[in-house]
Amino acid sequence: MKKWLGTIFGMMLLIGLLVACGPEETKPTDSSSNEDGEKATEEMPEKPEKLTVWVNAEEKQEEAVKQITDKYTEETGIDVEMVPINMLDQVEKLNVEGPAGNGPDIIFQPHDRIGDLVLRGLVAPVNLGETESEYTDTALQAVKYDGDYWGYPAVIETYAMYYNKSLVDEAPATMEDLMAIAKRDTKPEEDKFGFLMEAANFYFVYPFFSGNGAYVFANEDGNYDISDMGLANEGAIEGGKLVKSWFDNGYIPQDLTPDIMNGLFKEGKVSTVINGPWMVREYSDALGDDLATAPLPKLSNGEVPKSFVGVKSYMLSYYSENPEWSQDLMTFITNEKNAMTYYEVAGELPPRKDSLENPVIAEDPIYSAFAEQTTYGEPMPSVPAMQQVWDPINNALSFISKGEPVEPVLKEAVKIIQNQIEASGATE
Amino acid sequence: MRDKQSKQRNGLRQPRNFATLLSIIVPGLGQLYNRRIFKGILFLIITTSFLVTSWHYIDIGIWGLFTLGTIPREHHSIQLLIQGLISLIVLAFGVAIYISTIKDARRDAIAREEGKPKPSLLSGITSFYDRGFPYFMILPGLMMLLFVVVLPLLFMVSLAFTNYNQYNAPPRKLLDWVGIDNFAALFDVGIWQDTFLNVFTWTIVWTIVATTLQIVLGLFLALLVNDKRIKFKRTLRTVLILPWAVPAFVSILIFSALFNPTFGAINRDILSQFNIMIPWLSDPFWAKTALIMIQTWLGFPFVFALFTGVLQSVPADMYEAADVDGGTRFQKLRFITLPHVLFATAPLLIMQYAGNFNNFNIIYLFNEGGPAVRGQNAGGTDILISWVYKLTFETNNYNMAAAITIIMGLIISIFAFFQFRKTAAFKEEGRY
Repeated sequence: MKKWLGTIFGMMLLIGLLVACGPEETKPTDSSSNEDGEKATEEMPEKPEKLTVWVNAEEKQEEAVKQITDKYTEETGIDVEMVPINMLDQVEKLNVEGPAGNGPDIIFQPHDRIGDLVLRGLVAPVNLGETESEYTDTALQAVKYDGDYWGYPAVIETYAMYYNKSLVDEAPATMEDLMAIAKRDTKPEEDKFGFLMEAANFYFVYPFFSGNGAYVFANEDGNYDISDMGLANEGAIEGGKLVKSWFDNGYIPQDLTPDIMNGLFKEGKVSTVINGPWMVREYSDALGDDLATAPLPKLSNGEVPKSFVGVKSYMLSYYSENPEWSQDLMTFITNEKNAMTYYEVAGELPPRKDSLENPVIAEDPIYSAFAEQTTYGEPMPSVPAMQQVWDPINNALSFISKGEPVEPVLKEAVKIIQNQIEASGATE
Repeated sequence: MRDKQSKQRNGLRQPRNFATLLSIIVPGLGQLYNRRIFKGILFLIITTSFLVTSWHYIDIGIWGLFTLGTIPREHHSIQLLIQGLISLIVLAFGVAIYISTIKDARRDAIAREEGKPKPSLLSGITSFYDRGFPYFMILPGLMMLLFVVVLPLLFMVSLAFTNYNQYNAPPRKLLDWVGIDNFAALFDVGIWQDTFLNVFTWTIVWTIVATTLQIVLGLFLALLVNDKRIKFKRTLRTVLILPWAVPAFVSILIFSALFNPTFGAINRDILSQFNIMIPWLSDPFWAKTALIMIQTWLGFPFVFALFTGVLQSVPADMYEAADVDGGTRFQKLRFITLPHVLFATAPLLIMQYAGNFNNFNIIYLFNEGGPAVRGQNAGGTDILISWVYKLTFETNNYNMAAAITIIMGLIISIFAFFQFRKTAAFKEEGRY
């Protein structure tokens, strides 16, 4: 016992001695990234040997970026190293690699992670320069946070209405039309349905709330006020009642999972579904020419529902040593010609005015509906507090689907969300 | 005479103390003083190389461990924390070597005082090799253990005492030590306090009911298959092991589909014959029932295999003796079979309970802890571990998650510790 005490005491002494030393106070080095993201207009700095880009690990997307960056190397002589890393893992990886100095120059992220990235200080603001006006307003709104732009918009996506032409003659233009189809075609005992969607998933249900005047957080020009939530206001209750009516009328079964929904639609048993462009390939393989798409049907107040829009963008790592050339590369990747290359190879819509008007997209029988719907949508909030919203509001939707009253359920959900936001340290 | 005089000499004049002192000042000097030249030089080399290679690293590490950095962006708190913990481990090694050299010098000096002959170099090396061999053998394993198990544990425990959450995360911000604030918050922050009790009770019920059921079923089947009158023992055993052979991950997902109230085969094809529709996934009570049934199905083969093996080893003459004494079937089971089986398998059965207490897979894969319950922020079937998972990944309170995990770890360890102690006592009492 005594020996132990002696040993521990000795350790303590030694540790005390070491704490007192510590490193010589290092002067903060001039960090190479410029805090305000100004692009040197007069002259660019010297060309780097190479730039590193993290792209999403998906075969088609890698191929598209490879084609584009090869062209960039031809034009400028700068090598571009492409590292495929799953988009959802990039933030954690950058968190480790960046400070250690092995990070990339450019990462690829959905815009709703921007708030989190800015909070952690992993990205630097960018200057879109003259190209700013070429991106769609929705996309610009998405990558704006705290008054700065944080990314070059590369992909825009939202969901729309798919319908099966062998069951429906033309796309339902209004909710009334849609309900009529649901009433006509829904025969649960035969597994036939007129209208299906993930009605307990807020991501897909949002348009029916927002079209009536609900909102998640009050937003003014990229500045979100997280204390002002609009998920239990009159518009939200209106939307909640609409969703409830689908379940009450038996149009949508309570235990619908995405797998079951997609399976039934592919078997040709469902007239209309609401889903995103990532399902195009799978659906058209199953239905062939019977597959068609349309924007979401208008609500009873004449509004087109405002769907949630996601914008994936290239972002500048805070630790990049070549911010100017990185921005030059990002401008290049998202320019008109390359955006179209990306669309053709990877099948994702570019958020550029000229691209969306380009006949290749505007007259595409399938993608045109998604392109049109993005113009009605609004970007998902990019504040970190958004992470606290999903779970409680989805639970509220599942209570509504089981027939609980709409208003108290939504009020409860908002209260839980606000408690969670507080508990997560956002208000400190 | 001289012996006596040397005994009476004390303090620093005494060789043993002098050698110790020299070793304390510079490891290896004591050995040189003892005329163990080779050993002394070896220790000197080891000491200097240790200091030269690791001094700077340890210096920064320990400083970082205490301050967690002083300049945001320049210092990365998490990296400093890890470096600090590694430094502690390395330092502990250094101190251990240091103390052993001091002890060694003292031992040699005592041997010299008592006039024992100085061992030759070769014999010294062989004796050291003989004594140190086992340590050499476990050293690589110990190293691995320290860095693969102990270091992450220390890191997690440390996090529970910092203010590391989404809004205060390196590299942009520095972390601070906040003492036991996080543990205090567990008991006075509304969203956790309300839900904690519900989740905790269900966790206990789940652990006890599901595990006990799988053990009872395993035992029952093992006894049946072990009976002399049963034919096709091998085939039966193979069939009964099957649920264990299929990866649980896959089976749980399939069960999740089977139990779907509207589209699943259980309601649609089986129960509909009796005009029953049970809301397996949307009602908390039925979801819990389904989970317990699935876990019983997944868990009994292991117990069954375990008991089958033990039953083979119960001596037949005991049963014969029981027959002679006129014991009934039940008495034979109660006084011969059960004590044998449970005695041999008790530790493993306890591990089954501990495993289910933290059985994240089944809860998460079956229904993600759902269905939702109004007025609490955990699902109806969430157990502590899956709830912590949700808290961590939704509210990004890494510090709170670490704190709750420590509490859970303590519960499990205390439970396991007492159980193992009891089984040890059980062992000494039981004589077969």
